[in-house]
Amino acid sequence: MQKVLPLAAIIALASLLVWLLYDWRPNPEKAGGQRPLELAVRPTGGDFRLHSADGPVDLSSFRGKVVLIYFGYTWCPDICPTNLAIIALALRELTPRERRQVQVLFVSVDPGRDTPERLRDYAAYFHPDILGVTGTDAELARAAALYGAAYRRSEQSDSAMGYIVDHSAYTYVVDPRGRLVATFDHATPSEILVATIRSHLPGGG
Amino acid sequence: MFIRAAIIAVPAIWMLPVVAGESMPTIEVAAPYVRAVPPGQPNSAAFMQLSNEGDADRALVAAASSAADVVELHTHTMVDGMMQMRRIERIDLPAGQTVELAPGGLHVMLIGLTRALLPGETVELTLTLDDDSDVQVVAPVRPVGAMPMSHRHH
Repeated sequence: MQKVLPLAAIIALASLLVWLLYDWRPNPEKAGGQRPLELAVRPTGGDFRLHSADGPVDLSSFRGKVVLIYFGYTWCPDICPTNLAIIALALRELTPRERRQVQVLFVSVDPGRDTPERLRDYAAYFHPDILGVTGTDAELARAAALYGAAYRRSEQSDSAMGYIVDHSAYTYVVDPRGRLVATFDHATPSEILVATIRSHLPGGG
Repeated sequence: MFIRAAIIAVPAIWMLPVVAGESMPTIEVAAPYVRAVPPGQPNSAAFMQLSNEGDADRALVAAASSAADVVELHTHTMVDGMMQMRRIERIDLPAGQTVELAPGGLHVMLIGLTRALLPGETVELTLTLDDDSDVQVVAPVRPVGAMPMSHRHH
């Protein structure tokens, strides 16, 4: 008995040590790295003006519709196509009547390379109802700040990309009264987008 | 006497795969695909699973393709709430492990596409490892949003 007890204690402590080393995580990150953007001021949403290939676009002109806004740029090979494809999938899930009450804006934060014409072709590839817009640095900064979108141009001396635009990859939902009602993480499934859109459609969809 | 012979022969036989292994590829590529892109978009990405079936750690250090002017290795990390994509010099392939290149993470980036990438076509990639060996990959072009067939059959 006296020989067994210390041995049992050693085994128990060794097991605890192994568990601590290999299994214990103090602050498990949510899957997909969905860490919320830390902002000093909570995004308020609000009206902004940007520019499409057909002229100026005021967010307020879409009152009465549910608006989805996604900030990105066309040189982005992975994140932006992923999210735009999910948004396009959500649009295709809606009935034609529902779709008429929805507007999607793809805001390019890379006006140096993304002209309104380029954006028009790019956005249409994902879905004809997606409108590509961009603007001056000041216009973009203002729109981004209203929605809590972050972006930053980063020169890449070791890549043929030239410069990369780091950006948050949220999808913002604005209701028919122009209020920011939801902010979705990168790659949020289309089913969730569809449910949210339907919950805010005028007349209950 | 038979036992002595066996003692010599068994290790010798055992050594054969090591000697012959120089010509056998140890990196297996599964489920490769390249993203189709909108017309005029200059860049795309290739995704795949890389399994190091050998005993030695390897690393992917370069890639090339006739489909793009430049091919680089890239990854994404979430920093300050923003997705950062950065070029990396190598993708480590530890012995006995499978490394996944998937959307939102590691990928082979095709910069300056030399032709449109249309679903149904294929893209040939040459992956260069740290031991100077090459792995040839034929990757189908898939539309964005298509689910890659990523499960492996054991």
